[in-house]
Amino acid sequence: MSILSVRDLRVRYSASGPEILKGISFDVEADDFFAIIGPSGAGKSTLIRCINRLVEPISGKITLYGTDVLSLNSRKLRRLRRDIGMIFQEFNLVDRMSVMDNVLSGRLGYVSNFTALFRLFSKEDIGSALSVLDRVGLSDHVDKRADQLSGGQRQRVGIARALMQNPKLLLLDEPTSSLDPKISREVMALIIEIAAEYKVPILCNIHDVQLALEFCNKIIGLQDGVKMFDGPTSKMNSKKLDEIYAMEVL
Amino acid sequence: MASASTTARNVDRILAARTKAKFGRSIIYAAVIAMAVFSIKTTIIDDTDWARLGSVANVLASAAEFLGVDWGLLPNLLEPAIETIMVATLGTLLGVVVCVPAIWFGALNITPFTPVTYPLARLMMTLSRSIHEIVWGLFFVAAVGLGALAGVLALAIRSVGFIAKMSAEAIEDLDPNPVEAIRAVGGSDFQVFIYAILPQVLPVIVGVVIFEWEINIRRSSILGLVGAGGLGLVFFRQLNTFNFPGVTTVILAILALILFGEIVSYYVRKAII
Repeated sequence: MSILSVRDLRVRYSASGPEILKGISFDVEADDFFAIIGPSGAGKSTLIRCINRLVEPISGKITLYGTDVLSLNSRKLRRLRRDIGMIFQEFNLVDRMSVMDNVLSGRLGYVSNFTALFRLFSKEDIGSALSVLDRVGLSDHVDKRADQLSGGQRQRVGIARALMQNPKLLLLDEPTSSLDPKISREVMALIIEIAAEYKVPILCNIHDVQLALEFCNKIIGLQDGVKMFDGPTSKMNSKKLDEIYAMEVL
Repeated sequence: MASASTTARNVDRILAARTKAKFGRSIIYAAVIAMAVFSIKTTIIDDTDWARLGSVANVLASAAEFLGVDWGLLPNLLEPAIETIMVATLGTLLGVVVCVPAIWFGALNITPFTPVTYPLARLMMTLSRSIHEIVWGLFFVAAVGLGALAGVLALAIRSVGFIAKMSAEAIEDLDPNPVEAIRAVGGSDFQVFIYAILPQVLPVIVGVVIFEWEINIRRSSILGLVGAGGLGLVFFRQLNTFNFPGVTTVILAILALILFGEIVSYYVRKAII
């Protein structure tokens, strides 16, 4: 039984614009580290943003843990979003806030506007923020401002923020594109460890095919909004890769 | 390569175009000079009371009456000076409160219902800025009577335009990435504002507010002219009683106050940004 199922997903940013996703379907299982690969502009970021509806598809069906995602009203959508952790290419931290406040912002889906306004987070929330920061190796940087950290450290804050949500699914949008190759590997290794510890499936956009082959167990390949490959990493080969990336050469 | 005759034709064409451009420019110059002459004739030559002005010596003598300082007035200036600063400060703070809806409605990326709320906010900003503070002062003196309250209200309304415009523009220019992140964790619109928008624009808003406070000291020091309290009222009294050294004293006091405002605003801004 799949955890996330996507059926015939179509996206168009404006009524007259081109179709960005042209009927994508796939399934994510409980223990998947699922990669989406493909050239720039293939629709990877759009696809991943449809899962938590940062982008609204025009048609299709998304089912996550039995919930019909596309039918939710805005309140229920916020409920759903707090169960989906997201990690971003540009980390998307609030630079002028402390590392602690950035990590605590992962709890916003669980607290009232009043709590958020005065930052009245509970002792338990602060305690779990400290423990996730310890888990990602940032215990020494709790009180620093987010903009004082290096790229790799900032992405670790992003991971900690996502973990604060107690996510049932992690969406990764090019988590390593802003990092150098060595740090990229460290971050991917950390994510795969954490996914096992928290027993959370991962859906990951990734530009770097090498990293995808190394860390992920399943891959779909997108090209210009169309699915070109869907299967376990072991079935991927260089001929299929060339097909997926054929557009980029042109 | 172009033949000799084509080149000659091109030279002629360019010369003709240049002559035409020069002719056009001379017409514009002539029009500007004619306008200036006409304005000088109607506003200065016809409108000045030349008989009363008398000789150059007379003009200098009148101006000289303002030389000198009425030191005796000084103790009476302390209270109005403090009042002036208080009017400026309260006016700025109240202006910030009035600004909140104008900023919210006036930033395209967060305005709740663009076709209605955005023009409404822009109208508020334009109205606030296009009416002079003295006119706002007259309006509020008529509404709430003579005194500092009218001054506070006038400055509050006059401050909305600039603070709201700069703040709304700062919000329009912000980095959308943190906004997306707070949305993705399930944050409400309010939480997005508190966590992703406000921290980014707060330094800009604080800087703008301090700048506006400094300008408001200038404004509040003349608002007394229309009966809205502060140093302006003393200024007006000195002028009416023909105590010209007293007028000079008040002007110097205003200058000192503005200097004070500039120094404070410099250090506060440096501390915050």
